[in-house]
Amino acid sequence: MAQVQLENVTKNYGNLEVVHGINLDIAHNEFVVLVGPSGCGKSTTLRMIAGLEEISAGDISIGGQIVNDMPPRDRNISMVFQNYALYPHMTVRENLGFSLQIAGKPPAEIARAVGEAAGILSLDDYLDRKPSELSGGQRQRVAMGRAIVRHPDVFLFDEPLSNLDAKLRAQMRVEIKKLHQKIQTTVIYVTHDQVEAMTLADRIVIMRDGNVEQQGTPNEVFERPVNTFVATFIGSPPMNLLPGRVTGGALVFARGFTVPVPHNFAQLVAEGQEIVLGFRADNMMPEGHALNMDEASPAIEMAVIVSEPLGTETLLYTELAGQEVQAKMLKPRPVADREVLTFHLDLAQCHLFDAKTQNTLR
Amino acid sequence: MDINQQHRFKTRIGAALRHITLFVAMSIICIPGLWIVLNSFRPTVDIMAKPPVWVPRGLNLDNYRAMFGGAGEGGVPVVQYFTNSLIISVTSTVIAILIGMAGGYAFARYRFRGKSAIFIGLLLTRAVPGVALSLPLFIVMAKTGLIDTHVGLIMVYVAMNVPFTIWLIDGFFRQVPPDLAEAAEIDGCTRWQAFWKVEFPVAKSGVASAGIFAFLTSWNEYALASQLTRSTFSKTMPVGLRDFTSEFTINWGGMCALAVLMIIPALILTFLVQKHLIAGLTFGGVKG
Amino acid sequence: MSKIKLPTWFVLILPAILILVAVVLIPLLLSLYSSFTPYRLTRPDSLYKWIGTYNYEKAAKSWVFWSAFGRTVLLLTIALNLEMLLGLGLALLVSRVTRGQRALRTVMMFPMMFSPILVGFQFKFIFNDNVGLVNNALQSLGLTTAAIPWLVDQKLAMFSIIFAEVWSSTSVFAILILAGLFAIPKDPLEAAKVDGCTPWQTFRHITLPFLMPFIYIALAIRSLDVARAYDIVNIMTNGGPARRTELLWTLIGRTGYVDAKMGYANAMGYVSIFMAIFFTIFFFKKLSAARAELGMGG
Repeated sequence: MAQVQLENVTKNYGNLEVVHGINLDIAHNEFVVLVGPSGCGKSTTLRMIAGLEEISAGDISIGGQIVNDMPPRDRNISMVFQNYALYPHMTVRENLGFSLQIAGKPPAEIARAVGEAAGILSLDDYLDRKPSELSGGQRQRVAMGRAIVRHPDVFLFDEPLSNLDAKLRAQMRVEIKKLHQKIQTTVIYVTHDQVEAMTLADRIVIMRDGNVEQQGTPNEVFERPVNTFVATFIGSPPMNLLPGRVTGGALVFARGFTVPVPHNFAQLVAEGQEIVLGFRADNMMPEGHALNMDEASPAIEMAVIVSEPLGTETLLYTELAGQEVQAKMLKPRPVADREVLTFHLDLAQCHLFDAKTQNTLR
Repeated sequence: MDINQQHRFKTRIGAALRHITLFVAMSIICIPGLWIVLNSFRPTVDIMAKPPVWVPRGLNLDNYRAMFGGAGEGGVPVVQYFTNSLIISVTSTVIAILIGMAGGYAFARYRFRGKSAIFIGLLLTRAVPGVALSLPLFIVMAKTGLIDTHVGLIMVYVAMNVPFTIWLIDGFFRQVPPDLAEAAEIDGCTRWQAFWKVEFPVAKSGVASAGIFAFLTSWNEYALASQLTRSTFSKTMPVGLRDFTSEFTINWGGMCALAVLMIIPALILTFLVQKHLIAGLTFGGVKG
Repeated sequence: MSKIKLPTWFVLILPAILILVAVVLIPLLLSLYSSFTPYRLTRPDSLYKWIGTYNYEKAAKSWVFWSAFGRTVLLLTIALNLEMLLGLGLALLVSRVTRGQRALRTVMMFPMMFSPILVGFQFKFIFNDNVGLVNNALQSLGLTTAAIPWLVDQKLAMFSIIFAEVWSSTSVFAILILAGLFAIPKDPLEAAKVDGCTPWQTFRHITLPFLMPFIYIALAIRSLDVARAYDIVNIMTNGGPARRTELLWTLIGRTGYVDAKMGYANAMGYVSIFMAIFFTIFFFKKLSAARAELGMGG
């Protein structure tokens, strides 16, 4: 029995349907991340699970109990908001203990629970300050502390790290992961940042325009994306896509660029089919600065338009088949403008999508 | 009934109750005014009828016609009162705005010793009850021959309006970034030019609503006007209405017509500026 | 000739200060002075006779004065509290409405457009025992056959006056509080819902603390205008009949203009001035305290 279950959950605003019949089964103690571009419906879905938005159709169950019309306070959930939503007129201690105070718990128990949460999140020094006296990262931790104090059945996170700077975000990601290890509870986490999704999730749910495009472990969605959207959304830098056609047993692209059909897809293509070839920057590398390739393509000579040295590797922007593509260079050396290098593409790592449906050939 | 149905039910009942209460509240707000308007169109016969006549039969403008014709409704020169009110209110508003702009700008842009003391002092003068102030004012104005003149009343109303006008305009000028005037000065304007070309236009709507507020205060004022005016030469509408009610306690229709006439300018002006009024009150208060 | 350079701010404030000194300050001083004299309009030279605190003592011993004073304080306390509660309730109701909210806000503003004289007239008409709307309605509905003396009976008259006063000023509270409700950040409210609060608890712990500054602003603004009641009472009952609805201000007006006892009236007037100023300062202090509590700015 799933801890949280969504069955055909739909959301309308007037005549506009923004979430189209979503189905999700989330197991106990699983860390699920809903990820997607702005407006894909992930926050709306989360808020429906929380009870902050009404469900237009479908059922949501928590712990086996259908909760469609129940107010948030009866669902035994906790939520961490994007803007922290701390109570500005209360101290950190009062913020943390508020929900217990409302529930009528005795002061001793409140003090103990607050102390416990403060210890886990290193808030002991700030207990008597007001939110306005705290930094963004500290407020974030108070928001999380407020959530864990109640020992709910499900934790909901609504883009909690969006307002932090990059360095702090990286730190807090680790904190959240450690927290989940310590407090074994189901987590549903919403973000638009695919790095957060990949690093935190047990399972990723990728959403677009109110639909679930793919769900799976980070590894699954990275290695086996079901369509071009997922392929380009997950992974940084995004996957390169080249539209082409199957001609005479090879893949032919613009400007005369051709490669043999990759072995993995040999049985799946039809003559004359319009396809899209997908490969990541890690799969195209210049000679002498690459790992061993499983199925190396013939040499491809390209001029480097821009190079971005990252230290341990360099990102190269080149033009292929009339489009700008990115390649990686390991053990890098400085690259001059317009310098021509010889690249190889690892066909075994490539993906092939049908141009019409944008789905992976399988 | 499962728990979800229970919650749905509770929500619906709550919504229904809320709507009913709102309806009742809005009725209480609207009915008195509408009743007055309605009765201003009814002949006195209908108003006095017993048992009471609910469905009006034959509405007409008789009451209004009587007001404007000749010496007005049984001797109450409505047109004269209206004109007096208009002249006095408009003049005092214009002057109060000018003084208010000067004062408001000073408070918004400059720092000086005793600023808050002066500010509080200004506001406190507004707290003096009209009737208490009217006593000594009456003595002073009698001695200086200003009783029953437009000038006297105008001066009094300017003093009445200046504090609140300064408060509102101060709030609005604070919304205007000081950098604007500085940029204008760098571009070649004198301080005076910078003010009129740059800062004033931005705060214009605030000044307008402060003006309307001042106008309404003067238009509606009774306590001071009732004692500082003596004849139709300077009596204003509120005084006229009061006189009317004490002299002609039976002519309700006529009184209603007078009341309607009194409120029309106020309604129009308040309508125009409702958004700004609220903004003005909360800006003035929160920034205050 | 040396030119004295006056600071700009001084020049700008000067007109305001001048007119207020002329129209308010000087008469107030005169009023204070005359309260120490037995000045009568009919005997102008009595202005120059000094009798010390005689007038004040006379007022302190006068039953008429104290009952008017007491009635005034009672009226104001009841009215202000009612206006605050009703205004709060009305604001809460209107804030939950999804459609037509602007129309509701416009309707809410109606009572504010009526001058106190108009309000008084309105209810004088409505509560009239013969032709008034209330009695006619009650009779038509068969609830009573008597003509209820809304404006004559002591208790009923006070009720009618309070009704008129509350009707007139609740809007000020409602509108200010409504503005305050919209200024409240939405997130803490949602967090409270998730934390387990019933609607009442959310209101008490989160909404109300946020609203306090607005409530105090409204109270302070209202207290500046506390003497509006004079206009209303003047036209509705003029303190009568037989002084049953006499307020401090109608008493002052009557003493000064009808009885011509100016000195005495000014003494009482000063008492009323202090009362008004007291109310105002009281609420302004509360306003500052509430804003500090909230850590306004945080």
